[in-house]
Amino acid sequence: MKTLIIEKIEPKRIGELVTVGRILGETPDLLALGEGEVPGTYPRAYQCPETIAANLVDGVADLIQRDGYQVVLLSATTLGSEIAGRLGARLKAPVLSEVIEVKPDMTVKRPLYGGKAVAEYKIQGNPVILTIRRKYFEPAPLEGTTAAAVFNVESPSVVLLSEEQVQTQGVRLEDAEIIVSGGRGMGSADNFEVLREMAGLLRGAVGASRGAVDEGWASQTMQVGQTGNIVAPAVYFAVGISGASQHLAGIANAKCVVAVNKDEEANIFKRARFGVVCDYHKFIPALIQALREEQ
Amino acid sequence: MKIAVLAKVVPDYEVPAGDFELAGNRAHARYTRMIGLYDENAIETGIQLKEKYGATLGIVSYGQSEDVPILRKAIAMGGDSLHLVLGESDDPYVIASNLKIALEQLQDVDLVLAGQQSADLDRGVVHGVLAEMLGCTFLAQISRIESDQGRWTVCQNHESGSRMLQFSGKAVLSITSSPENVPRIPAVRAIMAAKKKPVEKLQGTDAPPMQVEEVKVEIPKLESVCEFLPFEDMQETSRMLLARLREERYL
Ligand SMILES: Cc1cc2nc3c(=O)[nH]c(=O)nc-3n(C[C@H](O)[C@H](O)[C@H](O)COP(=O)(O)OP(=O)(O)OC[C@H]3O[C@@H](n4cnc5c(N)ncnc54)[C@H](O)[C@@H]3O)c2cc1C
Repeated sequence: MKTLIIEKIEPKRIGELVTVGRILGETPDLLALGEGEVPGTYPRAYQCPETIAANLVDGVADLIQRDGYQVVLLSATTLGSEIAGRLGARLKAPVLSEVIEVKPDMTVKRPLYGGKAVAEYKIQGNPVILTIRRKYFEPAPLEGTTAAAVFNVESPSVVLLSEEQVQTQGVRLEDAEIIVSGGRGMGSADNFEVLREMAGLLRGAVGASRGAVDEGWASQTMQVGQTGNIVAPAVYFAVGISGASQHLAGIANAKCVVAVNKDEEANIFKRARFGVVCDYHKFIPALIQALREEQ
Repeated sequence: MKIAVLAKVVPDYEVPAGDFELAGNRAHARYTRMIGLYDENAIETGIQLKEKYGATLGIVSYGQSEDVPILRKAIAMGGDSLHLVLGESDDPYVIASNLKIALEQLQDVDLVLAGQQSADLDRGVVHGVLAEMLGCTFLAQISRIESDQGRWTVCQNHESGSRMLQFSGKAVLSITSSPENVPRIPAVRAIMAAKKKPVEKLQGTDAPPMQVEEVKVEIPKLESVCEFLPFEDMQETSRMLLARLREERYL
């Protein structure tokens, strides 16, 4: 299958898509978005400084038709969801989003009902547009760099006024081996301080449920789940999180989940390896104390 | 200013995995039906724009007649009119083609708002497809919208932060959740009044679906067995937990 990856210059994301591409055939071609060197080697690579997906659709559609790409791979991120539907409709191509499994015969799996079910599809038409859920495919190591052909965007319709990167101290959530997440049960923004302290001692990152983000206690970039960050740490601490399926969808590939919840019926205990049924106010300070003693 | 919000009625998205069952590849019919969560965020955003700019707000849906009483919640929240295109397809191209019928009937809609993704198909595709069919701008995961003399300034959330974008003309925007658009709970009086509002029902159309075959749908098993730690002495429990995590090489 002649495949094109469209992704920002982020080695792990591109690596995951290369892995998916190789399931379907040879190493795919790449349209790399943003500035800097293009990591990895590809039969063909293009580079475009533009990262506003809305401005890319026209050019990308032309490229796909001109070069006869049969599969387009994107990550299931803001960028991916902004391109996929429009591109699909432009090319009259099937669009399958949030894909979690791909087979060489073009059957793919994706979740339904907040991850409570998984559907399998056989793709018949082509080209096909797939957005791939993060952390389900091992990123292929990208060796060397590729000199990319310049890809230009003509007459952009959306203008970037400003960009705000949320500063994370320490480890990035998506790279963290240990994540300490708080939910609505935390009770306030100030209470997240103990989670930051705990994450600091464990050299991990702090995450949150949508409940906590909706309350304004945590930034949206900290959200873990189906529509937040998909993470796969070694240990995931869920503190005051009920364990809704949409939250669990974000930690399906976490190796060990530790749940701290005062409700013994909470759904999170069905996913947890270790559980502590109690008020986190009692347990987390004790755990911090134990971590300090070890240092 | 004329705004349309796309809303979809779905089976209760809070049913836990342990209670969830399928009937013929879709959720069993016994679950309560409700408007999807992100769709409610989009409705809330629409109402705030209505309040700020004096816009009119049409609620547009594709689905079944039985969903009308549920969709009325959007009117009780502050929507002005309800437009339902009748049909049962789950195909994003068919859904978008049908939503387009209602939008064309509403005429001169400046802005179409949709939820980031539906609460049943976990997909986030229909709004982009629709934008392409309408030939207008599409931006995903928008958390704030301002209008200034025909120009829109919007805030887009992404994985590592947010950015402000500007464009002119008509657009479809997918709305993400933020503390500012947590859906309001309608007052009892508004709920009663919404029951009397007429609903416009439109006949759906057959449009070509995607060339994809749904082979099967399954419920994955949650196989974790939780080891509950004692909770009498928290110091002791903490040390025990850390020891267990090390033993099993997680830490
Ligand atoms: C389409 C869609 C997408 C979604 N995407 C996401 C997503 O990406 N991420 C996400 O998280 N959610 C997502 N959700 C929302 C999800 O369904 C839940 O509403 C959300 O996860 C609930 O957050 P919570 O567990 O923090 O809050 P709650 O469900 O309110 O749970 C709070 C928990 O805290 C416990 N608690 C309270 N006080 C204490 C205490 N002192 N000590 C210990 N425990 C305590 C309670 O027992 C309870 O279990 C999505 C929903 C939809 C419909």
